[in-house]
Amino acid sequence: MSAAAEAHEHHGPPPIHYSSRINPAVLGIFLFIGSEIMLFGSFFTAYFFDRIVANPAQWPPLNEAGVPFERPWFLALINTLILVTSSFTIHWATVSCKKGNRAGLQAGMVLTFLLGLTFLLTQVIEYHRIGFNTNDTAFAATFFGLTGLHGCHVFIGLLILLVITIRAFRGHFSPSAHHGLEVGGIYWHFVDVMWIVVYVTVYVL
Amino acid sequence: MTSVTHDHHHAPASPSGLRKLTAPGWYRVLWTTPLVGFIGLGIVGLIRWAADWDPIWKSGPLATVGTVSFPMGLLIGLGGFDFWTYYASGKRTRPDSHDGHGATSWRDYFRINTDHKVIGIQYTVTTMLFFVISGFMALLFRAELAQSGDQYFNPQTFNVLVTEHAILMILLVIIPAFAGLGNIVIPLMIGAADMAFPKLNALSYWLLPIAGVTFIAGMFAPGGGPSAGWTCYAPLCAHQPMGNIFFNMAVQWGGASSIMTALNFLVTIITMRAPGMTFWRMPLLVWANFSTSLLVVLATPFIAGSQFFVLFDRVMHTNFFEAAGGGYVLGYQHIFWFYSHPAVYIMLLPGFGIISEVIAVMSRKPIFGYRLMALSLLAILVLGFSVWAHHMYVAGMAGWLRVPMMASTLLIAVPTGIKIFSWIATMWNGKINFNTPMLWATGFIATFVIGGLSGVWLGAVSIDIPVSSTYFIVAHIHYVLFGGSVFTIFTGIYYWYPKVTGRMYNEKLGKLHFWMTFIGFNATFFPMHYLGTQGMPRRVADYAPRFQELNAFASIASYLLGASTALFLFNMIWSWTKGEVVGSNPWRAMTLEWQVSSPPPTFNFDEVPQIVGGPYEFGVPGARHAILGSAQAEPVATGGH
Ligand code: HEM
Ligand SMILES: [Cu+2]
Repeated sequence: MSAAAEAHEHHGPPPIHYSSRINPAVLGIFLFIGSEIMLFGSFFTAYFFDRIVANPAQWPPLNEAGVPFERPWFLALINTLILVTSSFTIHWATVSCKKGNRAGLQAGMVLTFLLGLTFLLTQVIEYHRIGFNTNDTAFAATFFGLTGLHGCHVFIGLLILLVITIRAFRGHFSPSAHHGLEVGGIYWHFVDVMWIVVYVTVYVL
Repeated sequence: MTSVTHDHHHAPASPSGLRKLTAPGWYRVLWTTPLVGFIGLGIVGLIRWAADWDPIWKSGPLATVGTVSFPMGLLIGLGGFDFWTYYASGKRTRPDSHDGHGATSWRDYFRINTDHKVIGIQYTVTTMLFFVISGFMALLFRAELAQSGDQYFNPQTFNVLVTEHAILMILLVIIPAFAGLGNIVIPLMIGAADMAFPKLNALSYWLLPIAGVTFIAGMFAPGGGPSAGWTCYAPLCAHQPMGNIFFNMAVQWGGASSIMTALNFLVTIITMRAPGMTFWRMPLLVWANFSTSLLVVLATPFIAGSQFFVLFDRVMHTNFFEAAGGGYVLGYQHIFWFYSHPAVYIMLLPGFGIISEVIAVMSRKPIFGYRLMALSLLAILVLGFSVWAHHMYVAGMAGWLRVPMMASTLLIAVPTGIKIFSWIATMWNGKINFNTPMLWATGFIATFVIGGLSGVWLGAVSIDIPVSSTYFIVAHIHYVLFGGSVFTIFTGIYYWYPKVTGRMYNEKLGKLHFWMTFIGFNATFFPMHYLGTQGMPRRVADYAPRFQELNAFASIASYLLGASTALFLFNMIWSWTKGEVVGSNPWRAMTLEWQVSSPPPTFNFDEVPQIVGGPYEFGVPGARHAILGSAQAEPVATGGH
């Protein structure tokens, strides 16, 4: 190869030698998720201090009327089911792509996007009607903090899903080349799993 | 696929006429920055109007969003997102044309550039600029401290200067200086053509000047600058003048930059090593950046969180840390130090790597206990997460936490000690060449040992309680951060200067710079140990007359430091064009970056090198680190005694 490379003028780097079997983008997204988990970790830490250390006796604390703050756990449960379903639909899209089934890929992506959007809109409506505001005690701070942080991740995830969907409709991704889809999928699964932890912490415990 | 030809490798042909306004670059920045910036502000107004909040234009939310939207406009204008918007539009992906890679003129340093060597220079020069700015702030407040009584600044301004000085030195100098040096040498050292994600790399750099400018803009924000100290403790920090919002957001920019770079380093080191470059053959600098990057990726989100919370407490009136609303005040310190103690290792481990390179090469001996050196880095990484509350002994935290934190703090001295002894053993009986980098490296060991020891003392609860928040702490942090981190940065800059520029710095000036700094540094900061034990509190503009003499002495000495920095800058700038031209390997080192020309070719290697041995086998007969393709066959110096 060196003779050939020298024969004509060099037009770029030598072919990359990969020292690991893992794809760089996939490794990158896993490391990024590690970082994201720590970001959620800092919010959970604040939650821990506000709840366990500062308000051990009563959680949620009492509001002005003297009753504990209401948490709309049932609505959020339905929202949880919506988000969990979207994990299955994106998985279906990925499997379809690997099998060369483009219609399945496209349908899976559209469904996932719509489910994610439904989740986010439901959350907006929930915020609107929840009956307390960010300044109502540390309980509200952690409630809006954790669900809001997660909502931002859903929003970013939706942007990624949108990009993948557009590309799926424009003929990209094939059984042999689908790292973009895979990376987006890993991120979306992370957003879903994180929600389950947030849901249990914020609405149930 | 598509038929894109590779007809230009360097700067893309510069567009003309109106195309200038749409092509990525500073002309486009001129309109995208205000456009995106004001759209951001407009959205704030719109939401507040729709929600019927009064007033519609409120400074807190505007500053919060503005410190995001204006920089975003800048990045969009520069072309930081062009690749991704192109990708998102669903067009066919272009084979990489290597546009925007490498530099042929100074202009290439002022655009999005994907070459790790260019990015490394961008980083290093930016950090030196901020080193001067924030050093200048220190000289200003040292002038105030030269005498007891009020001289030039009122206490508020004084505290703004102290706050900005500290945070800039940490987030805009030390952490990114290592990112810069790492960028230049890591891909070379592991035999790769570039980083794993060059476009992300370019973007991470540009977040840095954004962070710096935001910090400095905070000083001039209406209402006043941030003055709660670099630690920005709640609840004080949530009740600061508006400049504090800039502070909070700038930390986010700096943090994002450092996380992105760390991710890039990790993926590059894991996936792009040349054949034969096993983990146990990696230079210690690569090991050091590997551990540091893990720390950055895992710890930095905690400072992001802490700054978000104080920001929310202020702008959205939440009660994360407001006791009146049921919040837990000390929660802030726990979260902050859970990042900021690991951060002290983020600011030191890469320096350890630099010192290991220089000591081995200049002593012509293999590193003593190479594997232990690598493993002790990992030990520090793990232990570093277990000591955060030694910053809170007097904060009123749970009493039972004190002793475990003391134990883990004392324990962390063990892997650190291993490194010190290994360097000494490496130098032992070596043929030491005391040139400028080696002077800095040995000077580092001397000062860092002092700082490390005062750290061990502070780790002991009974010693910490009386000296907490006194000048003893100021002495400690400067011995570890200045005598430690900054000395290693100078070591690295001198060591790789001939590689990056192709020219040698002036040795006489380099040595003079070292001695002026070494003396000025010790004269400035050593007396502070004593001042601290005598009870002089830190972060005050005025002090009792009995501290007068030593403070005056420290202030005078600090001006020696200022002069030495001027000398350093002169040497660097002058030698860049006037220095003696050197060959590819002036230090006769074995690591890969020295086996290619100086400065290295655009894509580093013509062929992927083959690694056949360890990086420091000096004096071992017949030992080689790497075999390179014929094109670059300069003999690999094994040297020795
Ligand atoms: C590795 C380099 C080190 C760096 C960069 C570093 C940096 C710092 C900084 C910035 C502070 C002051 C924080 C503040 O209150 O503003 C500090 C305090 C402290 N350091 Fe270090 N340090 C280092 C090494 C050590 C070591 C090796 C130990 C102990 C084994 C140690 C123990 C302490 C303790 C206990 C404090 C708290 C003092 C107090 O606030 O009362 N440090 N260090
Ligand atoms: Cu610490």
